[in-house]
Amino acid sequence: MNKAQQNTTHFGFKTVQEDKKAELVAGVFHSVATKYDVMNDVLSLGIHRVWKRFTIDCSGIRKGQKALDLAGGTGDLTAKFSRIVGPTGQVVLADINDSMLKVGRSKLRDMGIVGNVDYIQANAEELPFPDNFFDIVTIAFGLRNVTDKDKALASIYRVLKPGGRLLVLEFSKPIYKPLSKFYDFYSFNVLPKLGKLIANDSESYRYLAESIRMHPNQETLKEMMANVGFEDTEYFNLSAGIVALHRGYKY
Amino acid sequence: MPLDNLVCGLLETAINQLQQLDSTAVYKRKVLDGIVIAVMLKELNKPLYFVISKQHIDVLARYEGQTDCFIRLNISALKELHNNHQLTALIKSERLEVEGDIQLAQKFAQLLMAMEIDWEELLSSKVGDVLAHKLCYHVKQCRQGLSQQQQKIEQQCAEFISEELRLAPGPLQVAYFCEQVSELEKQCALLETRMTQCLCKIEQYGIAND
Repeated sequence: MNKAQQNTTHFGFKTVQEDKKAELVAGVFHSVATKYDVMNDVLSLGIHRVWKRFTIDCSGIRKGQKALDLAGGTGDLTAKFSRIVGPTGQVVLADINDSMLKVGRSKLRDMGIVGNVDYIQANAEELPFPDNFFDIVTIAFGLRNVTDKDKALASIYRVLKPGGRLLVLEFSKPIYKPLSKFYDFYSFNVLPKLGKLIANDSESYRYLAESIRMHPNQETLKEMMANVGFEDTEYFNLSAGIVALHRGYKY
Repeated sequence: MPLDNLVCGLLETAINQLQQLDSTAVYKRKVLDGIVIAVMLKELNKPLYFVISKQHIDVLARYEGQTDCFIRLNISALKELHNNHQLTALIKSERLEVEGDIQLAQKFAQLLMAMEIDWEELLSSKVGDVLAHKLCYHVKQCRQGLSQQQQKIEQQCAEFISEELRLAPGPLQVAYFCEQVSELEKQCALLETRMTQCLCKIEQYGIAND
C-alpha cells in the first residue's frame, strides 16, 4: 500500500502511476498538436507571444551561441533563437512528443528556418547531450508535464555550460485574490468549452487547467532550482502571476 | 517590462507585414543578413535592437551581445532619414549619431524607409482593377487637394498677419528697412573715414606747430 503510494504522481487532479504519466501527457499532446498554435492564441488572447518575447529578452542570447529549446513544441522560441544565433550558432528543438515535434519542424521549415536547427525527441529527465554543452536552456510551458521535475532540472543543470542560464516559463499562482477567482472560473468553465469548440477536445484542456493548479508556485519552483545547483535564481511575475518566468545561472 | 515587449511585438509585426509587400525587400535583407543594429530615439532614451535575417526582421528590447551599428537620433530626424544626401547634414547638426559602420546604417534606413509598395496593384487583386484605380486616383487627388489647401491657408495666414493686423511687416517693408540700414552703414563708413582724415590732419598740424 505504502509502496504503491510512493510510485504515484498527479495527472491533473487525478493520481496515476508514475510510469503512466508520460503516456497520458503524450496522449494529450498527440491530440492537440495540429491545433496547438491556434489554441494558444485564442486561450491567452495572444498574450503568450508577449510572455515568450520577455523570455527571449531575459535569455541574453547572442550570435554564435548554442541554445536548447526544451519541450519546444511548435517552435516559437526556436524560430527567434535560430535567427539571433545565426549560422555560427546552433539551436536544438527538443520535445518528448513526436507529434508536436513534427508540427514544429514543418512550421519552421515553411518559415525558411533551416541550417542551424536540430530536432530531437528527448525526455527532459534524461537529456541526450554531453555535459557543459549549451549556453541557454529554455523550457516554456513544459516543466508542468514532466513526471520528475527535480530530475529534469538536474539534467538541465548538467548540460548547461558554466555561465549558462536556464529559463523556465510556466503557469504559476496569480498574486491577486480577485483575479484568482476570475482565473479559476475561466480555466474550469470557459477553457474546456473553447477546447471543445476549436480543437474538439475538452479533456485535454481540462487537463491543462488542472495541471496548472498542481504545479508548484513561484517560491517553491525557485527553491527547487536552487536545490539542484542553480545560482542567482529569480522569478518575474507576468500578467499578475498567471505566468512566471524563472531564471537561474550555472557558475 | 512586458509593455516594451508588447511594443516590440507590434512594431515587428508591422514592419514584417510591410516587408512582405515590398518585392525588393528580400534583396535588401540579404545584404544585411545577420546584422544587429541598435536604434535609440534620444527623446525616449531606450534602444531597440533590430536583428536582420533573410526571412525576417526581429525587434528586441534587450540584447546583450555586440551590435554592428548603434544609431542615436532625434524623432525629427526620422522623417529625413530616407534621403541619403541628408545623412551627413543630420550628423553635422547632431541630430543623428552613428557608432560603427555608417554604410550599414544607410542600408538599414533604406530597408525600412524606402519600401516600394505598389498599393494599387495589391488592391486590384482584392477589389478589381477598375475600383483599385479609381480609389488610388481619388486618394492621389485628395492628397494634392490637401497640400494645395495647406499652401493656401499658410499664404492667407501670412497675409492676414502682415496686411490686416499689421503685426509683421510685409516683404517690401522689410526690403526697404534693409536698404535704409545699409544706407546708414555706408554713411557711417564715410563719416569714419572723414574723421580719421581729420584726426590725421590735426596731428600733422600739431607736429608742425611744435
